[in-house]
Amino acid sequence: MAVSWLQRLAARAAVPVFPVRGMHGEEVLYRLALTPGIKLVDSPRHASILLVAGGVPPDQHDALRRVHDQLPGPFATLWYRSEPLDELAGATRLDDPDALPEALKTIHRELMSGKRGSSPRLLPDEPPNPWEGLGDDGHGGKGMMGGVPYGRPMAMNMTDDIRDGLTLDSLTVTLGPFLPMLPPGLTAEVTLQGDLIQSWTTHSAPYPIALESVFFQALQGPVPIAELERARARYHLKRLHFALRLAGLDRLALEALRLAFAPHPGQDRAMALRRRLVRCGFFRLTTTGRGRLDENQARRVGGIAARAPGLEEDLRSRDAAYRRLEFTPIIQGGADTNARWCQTLAEIEQALQLADQAERDAVHTQRSDGVETPRGPWHEQWPEEASDLLDDLLPGLEWDEAMSTLASLDLAPLSPWSLEETSGAPVPTSVEERRA
Amino acid sequence: MDYPLIVDVFFVLLATLAVVSGWRVFATDSMVRASFFLLVSFIAVGVIMILLAAEYLGVAMFFMMAVEMMVMAIFMVMFMMNPAGLNPMMMVHQHKFSIAAGAAVFLVLATVALLAEFPDSPLPADLDPVASLGDELLGDSMLIFESAGIVLLTTMIGVVVLSSHRGRYGAADEGSMPPGLVPGGDPAGMPEEDDEGDGHHHCH
Amino acid sequence: MIVSELILPVALVIGVLVVGAYLVAVLDEAIAGAIGMPRGGSAWLAPLTQGAWLLTQHANATEAPDWQAWRLAPALYLALAAIGLAVVPFSPTLIPTDLVTSVVLWGSVEALATVVIFLHGWSANTLLALIGAYRYVALGLSYILISMFVLIGVALPAESLQFSQVVTSQEGLWNVIRQPLGLPLFLIVGLGMTFWGPLNLADSRDLAGGTASAVSGPPRLVWNLARAAMLVAFSGAAASAFLGGWLGPWLPGPVWMLLKMLAVLAVLLLIGRLVPRLQPERCVTLMWVVFLPLSFVDLIWAGAAAFFL
Repeated sequence: MAVSWLQRLAARAAVPVFPVRGMHGEEVLYRLALTPGIKLVDSPRHASILLVAGGVPPDQHDALRRVHDQLPGPFATLWYRSEPLDELAGATRLDDPDALPEALKTIHRELMSGKRGSSPRLLPDEPPNPWEGLGDDGHGGKGMMGGVPYGRPMAMNMTDDIRDGLTLDSLTVTLGPFLPMLPPGLTAEVTLQGDLIQSWTTHSAPYPIALESVFFQALQGPVPIAELERARARYHLKRLHFALRLAGLDRLALEALRLAFAPHPGQDRAMALRRRLVRCGFFRLTTTGRGRLDENQARRVGGIAARAPGLEEDLRSRDAAYRRLEFTPIIQGGADTNARWCQTLAEIEQALQLADQAERDAVHTQRSDGVETPRGPWHEQWPEEASDLLDDLLPGLEWDEAMSTLASLDLAPLSPWSLEETSGAPVPTSVEERRA
Repeated sequence: MDYPLIVDVFFVLLATLAVVSGWRVFATDSMVRASFFLLVSFIAVGVIMILLAAEYLGVAMFFMMAVEMMVMAIFMVMFMMNPAGLNPMMMVHQHKFSIAAGAAVFLVLATVALLAEFPDSPLPADLDPVASLGDELLGDSMLIFESAGIVLLTTMIGVVVLSSHRGRYGAADEGSMPPGLVPGGDPAGMPEEDDEGDGHHHCH
Repeated sequence: MIVSELILPVALVIGVLVVGAYLVAVLDEAIAGAIGMPRGGSAWLAPLTQGAWLLTQHANATEAPDWQAWRLAPALYLALAAIGLAVVPFSPTLIPTDLVTSVVLWGSVEALATVVIFLHGWSANTLLALIGAYRYVALGLSYILISMFVLIGVALPAESLQFSQVVTSQEGLWNVIRQPLGLPLFLIVGLGMTFWGPLNLADSRDLAGGTASAVSGPPRLVWNLARAAMLVAFSGAAASAFLGGWLGPWLPGPVWMLLKMLAVLAVLLLIGRLVPRLQPERCVTLMWVVFLPLSFVDLIWAGAAAFFL
């Protein structure tokens, strides 16, 4: 069939990619976010390419199949540092981050011109819960009770309303592991009333995050503080990027990312970013003072979440080299989402300022029995995974508040591999095996 | 009366739409759909009112009914044990009684339509229906409508006050306690808590 | 007669809507590029390629959606935008539909838009779309109320509920100066009813696209087109109600009207790119505690000005 003008036009569209964030797959997505001509979308319905970035544990393959089948045809898959599902053995696999943008564009072009066929459906196209038949009131049960039409039980609001007495019927759903608003890998069973979260049960923890190797080296011997602090700033800026994008500030989200990838990010640029965030109302308009951690929770999460409410826990203050740079931990007065973001921005500025100072005098760390990672203190053991505290924290919040709270909390465990390893040489043993 | 044939055609189409969507209200299996079928029926009637030169009332019908049906759908979803109104459910109950009531009302209205004498005086050409409706509302019946208006305005201000986060005795989400009658005393106007524990109170 | 009463108005409305919606997309793309977003191609081509891609993408199904409502909702929203634009006067004689209650009709377009947006989210039978639908309903009422008071404000000096009379009444002084609170409040309504930028709570990113999260292919194209078209229709209403519509020196009336519509669009799109999305709860508070009382003030101001001036 000749290629029509419509297809030729469609091939020139920005490539809509739905990223499935597997283990250690996020780094490449930050790069894609900065690539012109590629659009990372939030819903599989809005994409023509499913990009599986990073490994997906076998017990979540079914979830991956469901996401795969949600893409409307014609669509294709691309597996970046990930083993394709058995059914899709012939799908494109790629390990080189630099080749990824071009590969995505080529696949899109081939899809549109009909050169590449659509990926096959993996699951049968039939309702998982077929229609159960009419009952007394048309819902398949007796009276107003019972009956599970389409697998959805009739709502029974047996619990007290947790907010204002205006109760919409509760709806229970399973979220994750690939929902773009949640940390990758997190799954939870959530009961909602309207957009109010009534209960939240975390089923599986987020995938581990890889730190830059300098944090690992800091546990073995002295490392330049400039390098350590820039890595810290980069880590926080990437998280800030995610939150700003969620808040609809695409432009400033990219600015945060550009700063993270700048070879020598200066403190002035971080300060300018903060000023612009204040001016556009990020702190005032997108948070409502919710998402408050109590002291135990804050201590458990560690790092920014601990320092924001005023716990001066920072391994850096024990290091004489840091003391020479006049380092004192920054604290804020609040435990809510807003305070955590103020703290994050302040720490980014502080890290960049320390980096500049340390670079001038070539200061190295002196203690190597522990390191303050961006995720919290890593002393004898790593910062523990704390996603189960969401079960207490999120009920009572509206969806938007819950998502911005989640974005402001860094709950994922740390990966035993460094960022360079995970995005450089292929990982020898699969992550799942080592974790198990 | 002198009007183009197209008006008749539209009247028949709209009347059919109003009746059919009215019937669909009872034939559908969802609360939300039933509300909006009713809305379609009302909109058809609203357009017929515009055809009858009642321009203001016809257009007012659109926005009144749009908001009303929307609120009705949400309230039904809130009151019925049907998650988000997504599950199918029968929209008709008490079949015998409702059939009898429907037939009786239809007979009465049909009798009125057939037997009543409708005024047949042609409208004056320079009649401005909006202005004459305004005269009616703000002329002889002004007292009634203005008092209703003031009551509605008071209600609206009340809603603004109530929806505010700050309550009389503290922030709304912290629970409010009236102050005691004596300094440091029990909150005024609160009934004594009985310890019978009849299941109304769930302590968290 | 048929040409002047039927074909011309319909062609005018469709033409302005289609060209306007395209310009909205181009302008939005250009603004994004100007403030530093990475750009793939030219802003003029981007909406066309995106549209072509959506046309080649298949329309998907969800589990047991309400098919009628789901497929009709985008078309109905587009139809509402067309109805809204149909009452906007482009010159004293060039008015698609010169209804005597056109201001009230615009109000009903806003109310019916609430229903259509709710249906779009509800009928998909998926969680995120449903939350988007609920959110819009919870906020839609406050937009409608603010809009109503602001529009009564402009009807007062005109002593008419007709947009053409509202424009004529601004011959001495435009309403944007006579009622300084009116236009800012009305712009908020515009962002709200097209759920654009800071008030995009129905199709927001925290819901992966909200009511549109489960839609793909041509229905999504219609939905996107309808949102842009509604923005165009809104800019028409705002330009007639506050910026003196066709009034202006040197240039012919319709040109003035189009320029003013473009100015309103540019302001709205700029706000959309620069301000973060409001948290729904904060938004409800702002609407009821700040903007609604301000619209009362605007109405009292308008009444006093109409009485004394």
